[in-house]
Amino acid sequence: MNRSQIHGAGLGLKRELIPQIQSPHHQTLISNIQFVEIAPENWIDAGSKASKQLDWFAARYPIVCHGLCLSLGGISPLNTDFLQQVKQFLSRYEIDIYTEHLSYCTDAYQGKQGYLYDLLPIPFTEEAVHYVAQRIRQTQDLLGRRIGIENASYYAAAPISEMSELAFLNAVLSEADCLLHLDINNIYVNSVNFNFDPQAFLRGIPQERIIYSHIAGHYQQSPDLLIDTHGANVIDPVWALLKDAYDLFGVFPTLLERDNNIPALNILMQEVDKIADLQRQAIPRSSKANTNTRTPLLI
Amino acid sequence: MNDALLSFQQYQLAFTARIRDAHGQPVPVGVAPERMAVYDEIVFNNLLESVSACFPVARKTIGKATWLKLVQAFLKDHSADTPLFRKIPEEFLAFLRQTKLTLPSYLEALCHYEWIELYLSALPPLENPVADAQGDLAHCALVFTQAMQLLSYDYAVHKISPRHKPKRVEPTYLLVHRDVNDKIKFIELNPMTFKLITLLKSGELTAEQALTMLADELKHPQPQIIMQFGLGVLLDLQSQGIILGTTS
Repeated sequence: MNRSQIHGAGLGLKRELIPQIQSPHHQTLISNIQFVEIAPENWIDAGSKASKQLDWFAARYPIVCHGLCLSLGGISPLNTDFLQQVKQFLSRYEIDIYTEHLSYCTDAYQGKQGYLYDLLPIPFTEEAVHYVAQRIRQTQDLLGRRIGIENASYYAAAPISEMSELAFLNAVLSEADCLLHLDINNIYVNSVNFNFDPQAFLRGIPQERIIYSHIAGHYQQSPDLLIDTHGANVIDPVWALLKDAYDLFGVFPTLLERDNNIPALNILMQEVDKIADLQRQAIPRSSKANTNTRTPLLI
Repeated sequence: MNDALLSFQQYQLAFTARIRDAHGQPVPVGVAPERMAVYDEIVFNNLLESVSACFPVARKTIGKATWLKLVQAFLKDHSADTPLFRKIPEEFLAFLRQTKLTLPSYLEALCHYEWIELYLSALPPLENPVADAQGDLAHCALVFTQAMQLLSYDYAVHKISPRHKPKRVEPTYLLVHRDVNDKIKFIELNPMTFKLITLLKSGELTAEQALTMLADELKHPQPQIIMQFGLGVLLDLQSQGIILGTTS
């Protein structure tokens, strides 16, 4: 299996789902799963049972890693010990793709790392662009590969921001020369939370950097506040946005994230199947964009 | 504010200071309070969930209100230095050792006991050393599984529940191990068995030597009873995969 290439639809791997996915009775049901995603923070040094499970998946599917705690925008020094662990982990399971959030989750200063274990919003400033891009480059140098960064959902606008989220994202992508892990649901969530046009956001992203995308459900706390829970079904406007993205850029790999209120596998698969359907109906990416559609993964 | 920091970092520090202490720190200037509240809530709830999942007995025993205050103090005061979610409970234990809060005296032991299960589950697949399963348990050095812990506590931690809070110190000895099916199991030991296993694990004595020593210490009138009892325990431990055999 050529593990450097993913395509089609994927599913975020949750421990609750593993026995169902491994069941021989479900192999037809899950035929549209073409890759799976894990968070290294949940699987590094996770014990013998976990490593047996990962071996099972690694033999059958390309695995991609989507990190949560690297804290690219954090005030604390980049945790290079952790990155070395990630590097070994990627090598152990032959994982080529590693992505992280454009956010931060640490706040300790002068010495210790202080983890808060959640994704916090970086203010959109020039200084922050340079700071984050430098840390992405440092990460890429250490891992010997390009990483992808995900447009993160957020809820509180920083009064010191100097630019839009899109301008910030694009500036970081360009300065770090990294890949984009496009989260369709996050575009929608943020467009409601901060009242912008999600289609315009989509049109403004550098499509040649997309490595793969996420789709997920969210929770509506009030008409103008959506919380990115990954705990509900994907809503129609988000499906429509994914379709728009395929129409604009051609098809790219897309993965369903479901982290809470996880339904039975057959219910969950309806959404994975829907991704696959949309991909079949859309134009392949290679015939859509002219050149440079495949960004080399290794530096 | 610290001048060495970039302005976006100063903002981030004010933002996280507020999250860590939502009751004591102000919302950073210019941030919408109802949006700040989202972060106050999700960061705390996320941490509460991680910690509570590892310590269900401790949480129920000290009661919901005290538990919430404890996790609030954990968020406010502790500087966690691991990015691995699985290790959050370990950070919580470190916090319990350092906190100046007044807490039930048994709480630290109880939490440690609850955490051991998680710790042993998360050990990587162990390559157990070579052992002779047919070897003579009485006269050869013994080989133990690596996925085990011998524990001694001042309280009968395995009996604690909301209806059974320890009223006094009660020295307690436990052996915890991970079996071949990756299940975590606990065995309560008497003080003599605890001492026997501790001696044998060090690898310096054979079972016969260790049991003779223990019989001497006890000034037992019939040392052969101790010998028989001890060897019976070892056979039992072997049948459970805790003793793998003897050094060959």
